[in-house]
Amino acid sequence: MSFEQILMEVLKTLNLEFIVLIASGTLIGLIVGALPGLTTTMGIALLTGITFKFSGHAAIALLMGLYVGGVSGGSLSAIMIGIPGTPANAASILDGFPLALAGKGAKAITVSRSASVLGTLFGIMCLAFFTPILSNLALKFTSAEFCLLGLFGVLISGTMTGADLAMKGWIAGIFGLTIAMIGIDELTAWHRLTFDSPELTGGLPFIPIMIGFFGIPQVVESLSAEQEVLVAALDKSKTRLMEVLRHWKVALRAGLIGVGIGIIPGIGEDVAAWVSYGVAKKASKHPEEYGKGSIEGLVAAETADNSCIGGAIIPLLSLGIPGSPPAAVLLGAFMIHGVRPGPMLSFEFPAFLYQSVAWLLVATLFMRFMALGLARPMQKILTIKNAILMPIVAVLCAIGAFSLDIRYIDIILVFFSGVLGILFRKGKYPPAPLVLGIILGPLVDTNFRRALKASNGDFSIFVTRPVSLVLLLSIVLLILGQLGAFAAIKSRLTRTKQST
Amino acid sequence: MEESTRRLRTLDFFMGIGFAVIGLYVAVDGFRAFISPDLSTVERPSNPGVTTMFIGGMLALLGLIIAIIGFRGSRTPFRKATEVIRETLRKRTFLKGLIALACIAVYFFVFWGRIPYVISTFIFLAGIMFIFKAGAWWKIFIISGVTVAIVWYVFGVLAMVPLP
Repeated sequence: MSFEQILMEVLKTLNLEFIVLIASGTLIGLIVGALPGLTTTMGIALLTGITFKFSGHAAIALLMGLYVGGVSGGSLSAIMIGIPGTPANAASILDGFPLALAGKGAKAITVSRSASVLGTLFGIMCLAFFTPILSNLALKFTSAEFCLLGLFGVLISGTMTGADLAMKGWIAGIFGLTIAMIGIDELTAWHRLTFDSPELTGGLPFIPIMIGFFGIPQVVESLSAEQEVLVAALDKSKTRLMEVLRHWKVALRAGLIGVGIGIIPGIGEDVAAWVSYGVAKKASKHPEEYGKGSIEGLVAAETADNSCIGGAIIPLLSLGIPGSPPAAVLLGAFMIHGVRPGPMLSFEFPAFLYQSVAWLLVATLFMRFMALGLARPMQKILTIKNAILMPIVAVLCAIGAFSLDIRYIDIILVFFSGVLGILFRKGKYPPAPLVLGIILGPLVDTNFRRALKASNGDFSIFVTRPVSLVLLLSIVLLILGQLGAFAAIKSRLTRTKQST
Repeated sequence: MEESTRRLRTLDFFMGIGFAVIGLYVAVDGFRAFISPDLSTVERPSNPGVTTMFIGGMLALLGLIIAIIGFRGSRTPFRKATEVIRETLRKRTFLKGLIALACIAVYFFVFWGRIPYVISTFIFLAGIMFIFKAGAWWKIFIISGVTVAIVWYVFGVLAMVPLP
């Protein structure tokens, strides 16, 4: 496809309808992101149910707007009430809330907004540049590489996102892979784990599981918690973009960290923000100011979580492997709307990458201008009682899941996924690997068997190709590292040295 | 070891056993497919049981390891569990959470499909808001009514979803 043709395709999806949809998506995202308890992942899952009757590209544009709005919207509540709207903005509380309490709320919001814009733009730039490269590389991948890439994604996500033991992350990921096995096998039409139930033969639909898994535990938890919200007053001070650009080194480093973490499957914005904040604090000349209202700290956290958006979409579009939980739900929405991301995407929809870039740019623009305007009305919205908001969320969970296929079983699925979500929260099992496991299950399964078939059942196919060997070694090292093998070797070496 | 960690390890013990049982079931299901005469024409590497055996086996193994970690951390998992359950049942937050889950269950399993959508959703919203003291009764009625109207219009009219 020539440059002119791509440009025409991009312009076709930038008409008034698309602009309105992206603006609506961004606005919904900002509100969903700002309301504690409603995450971006949940927002995308819920809105997918509403948009299933839209044309494919229009729905995706709306959801991408929500993704951009959601991640930056969370900083509004982090700054104004000291509660992160989404996990991605938890690091922003450390400096944003003290600034607001010191009467510089508007300044904190404008700084966070400018940093978000910088981060998102950096992520989008990387998306446009690296996706074609990774897609071309992925075209050379065989089944063995795809299978190991999927497994690596699930395991690394489990390792990085676990709050307790890394093994819990692995269990969550493998449990997700198990859920993905339910239904008729694609290659042989054999019924797997269906308990002879006709409802299970088609497999478990991803979106209702996500709605239940993220939505129901939040409703239950919020309704059971005692709510006390302190909203910081907003001043009239504002910050120019140039003031944020003074911290360009911090912003650039945060952008790189965000994109880098975004590319790693299933890890996401929250990890990016914390890593970036930690690195910025270590590298700062004034680390003592961090946690007391440091502009640098706020820039580091907000730039990283927003640049992670572009980073997370890179493996999504090029490999079909999402880089973050919201990107995983976005992948589910893509599939519902007939877009199958992966290396073949550039052949099936040659302009899709550039259309996505354009939608994300438009969403960033809207996010920039909507956020501050929304800050004052949000002061009121943030005081809405959970007892009002959460029952409405429960209703949306039910109707959102039901509207996809008009099946009652999806409602049952929402409920039981919700119970599973509650158990996961109580046991400190991270949700991201489970999401990734469900979404990558078919990829791991079919490619594992294809690879074995191609090698006549010889497992050496997983070590004879350079990329698969690297991936397999990474998996082995990851597991050994978490099991403490390296620490044991190191202590043994130290003891040997001391004795000699 | 801290009390909270001991409690978490107790839960780990039981959840680990749960995962191990599920993993074992999945692996056995995979093995059944692997030796099934119905799949004798399918080449062994393509057999659908191959992946399920592998994944089920991994889940069972990891579940077992977590259960062992849980057992070692908790030391007396059964006694600790009884103690925690007794304490939890007395907690206000737990009871509130249970009521919220029960309300959702009633809405999903009893109301859905049996009572017209608009009425059932209104009853659910107003009921749960009353229980959790969302505000004055007239406020609850207005909020529930407006929400139901919006949901009905967006899904039933605009998206043309056949509401139950």
